[in-house]
Amino acid sequence: MTKILVVADIKQGVLKGSTSELLSKAKALGAETAVVAVGSNIESLTADLANAGSDTQYIADDASLELFSAGPFTSCVVDAAKQFEANLIWFGFSETGKAVAPRVAAQLKAACATEITDITIDGDNVEVTRPTTANKLIQRIKVNASQLVAVVRAGAFEATEGITGAENAVKLSIPETDLKAIIKEIIAEAGDDIDLADANIVVSVGRGAKDQAGIDLVKELATDLEAGFGSSRALIDAGLMPHAKQVGQTGKIVAPTLYFAIGISGAIQHLAGMNGSKVIVAVNKDSEAPIFNVADYGIVGDLFEVVPILREEIKKIKG
Amino acid sequence: MKILTTVKKVVDVELNIRVNDGAIVEDGLQYVINAWDENGVETAVQLKENNSAETTLVSIGGDDNADMIKKCYAMGIENGILIDDPALANADSSVFAKVLQKVYEKGEYDLIITGKQAQDTDNGQAGIMLAEYLNIPCVSNVVAIEVMDDSHVKVSRLGDAGTEIVELELPAVVTVSDSINEPRLPAMRGIMMAKKKKIETMDLSALGTSIDDLGGADLQSEVVEYMQPEARKSGQKFEGDAAEITAEVVGLLSNEAKVL
Ligand SMILES: Cc1cc2nc3c(=O)[nH]c(=O)nc-3n(C[C@H](O)[C@H](O)[C@H](O)COP(=O)(O)OP(=O)(O)OC[C@H]3O[C@@H](n4cnc5c(N)ncnc54)[C@H](O)[C@@H]3O)c2cc1C
Repeated sequence: MTKILVVADIKQGVLKGSTSELLSKAKALGAETAVVAVGSNIESLTADLANAGSDTQYIADDASLELFSAGPFTSCVVDAAKQFEANLIWFGFSETGKAVAPRVAAQLKAACATEITDITIDGDNVEVTRPTTANKLIQRIKVNASQLVAVVRAGAFEATEGITGAENAVKLSIPETDLKAIIKEIIAEAGDDIDLADANIVVSVGRGAKDQAGIDLVKELATDLEAGFGSSRALIDAGLMPHAKQVGQTGKIVAPTLYFAIGISGAIQHLAGMNGSKVIVAVNKDSEAPIFNVADYGIVGDLFEVVPILREEIKKIKG
Repeated sequence: MKILTTVKKVVDVELNIRVNDGAIVEDGLQYVINAWDENGVETAVQLKENNSAETTLVSIGGDDNADMIKKCYAMGIENGILIDDPALANADSSVFAKVLQKVYEKGEYDLIITGKQAQDTDNGQAGIMLAEYLNIPCVSNVVAIEVMDDSHVKVSRLGDAGTEIVELELPAVVTVSDSINEPRLPAMRGIMMAKKKKIETMDLSALGTSIDDLGGADLQSEVVEYMQPEARKSGQKFEGDAAEITAEVVGLLSNEAKVL
């Protein structure tokens, strides 16, 4: 039987939704599932990890693992993969996944695929599909190695309602601190906002908002909708929005039910981060802006005029 | 300090890319330097300017990579190595990383800079795997770098919890994000000088290896087919009175799309 090890996505002590999405897919494929969790003060998450759909929980819990360090994180995943004899090792879409997956693959001599959107398993044949070339193409990849390490794109798999697992925690030994790459500190940005990766609705703002006042205006729409608040790179380069908010090929890849692109032209690198959204609304004063090519509903107009009306009309509907 | 930076020539993603029978249609494609590698070149040149480093680039590909390498010379890179071998035509990230490992071992560099990913494959694996094969530290998605002393650099990385500040012991690999800098446009003087500069071209045997050695005859995975993504169904565009069209769109979001 196929054995799938999912790397738990834990942020600020909370288990993120992607873990259950990946475990649900693993179960749907008929696999035996396990999860590996790395961090500090996370032992209390064992029940959550089981409820997310895992039958075994490999846990590396130590104060030394509080700040992300790729080397020790990799050692924990490799250790769990070996103990579990995993065929497939899956990460949710995250910077951690992108940094650790190639290392795990190199150490296990496994195949590696980033940002996969689908996987099929037919006996010994494993194939994955993934978007590539700034989302302009999709590739189908045949896995030849006996193990595959993959990073799964945000929104690729859905969590199954009522999925269950079993509590069966295994303590991993704690790897040594990497003295050649010493993590000094992490400067957190925009801590308590709604996580873009989890948000059902995302409102993103672009250079069209011009300055802080424009950004604040668009942010109010996000607040009304309890939406994640994202940005194009232009405002980040201008120092007006934090890096963590960037949507696109270099930033977060999101696939919410509803995406608002406000004052964003629709450069290919931005589209690569959001054109998997279910419904896209664009507000742009240039009727020729490329964002209209992907928008389901395009409003040609000045955002300073349109956004306040959007807020009002939405309030009417939501009561 | 000796810096090695990697550059890849990739298809220009701004242009249309077509697929026929599971393969990319070459006709009409143009090739450019991978944007993230250009950030890497700029990083190397800035480190050279501020800290007296020696800069070398390595590229894997055919002799049509020469114009890209000359452009990097014009930006300020001093030496160029081209690994040109037809056996590498179908290589994957792991094989490329092993080629880079051989190049590294010949030159004994202190710092290796790669782009965080290549714009054609979007894999983001080769630089990180290279560090694993060399058993040296690596930080990916780097947005700032500063030399501390002869054997340490301090880097900032964009991670999931914020900006991570990491002190790296050299030799090390960093993979850079486009946020790290704005690559310079080469000056005329640089362009003229670049014309005369040589490129050291090697095949795998000159590098002291073979495709079998590198695992290239027995790939861990292979692309079997390319497809065009399903185009989004064309949407509706509303022009006219802002109050009217905005109300109409909100109505449609609620009643038609049922997402509000
Ligand atoms: C390697 C690389 C990676 C990149 N990665 C990313 C990425 O991850 N994410 C990303 O977003 N970008 C990325 N970029 C940058 C990308 O190419 C664009 O430069 C960027 O997305 C543009 O941001 P923008 O749409 O906000 O700005 P612009 O392109 O300047 O567009 C502003 C838009 O606002 C409209 N506008 C102006 N005023 C108003 C108004 N009053 N009302 C309504 N509309 C108005 C204009 O018509 C215009 O369409 C990357 C680029 C490179 C080279």
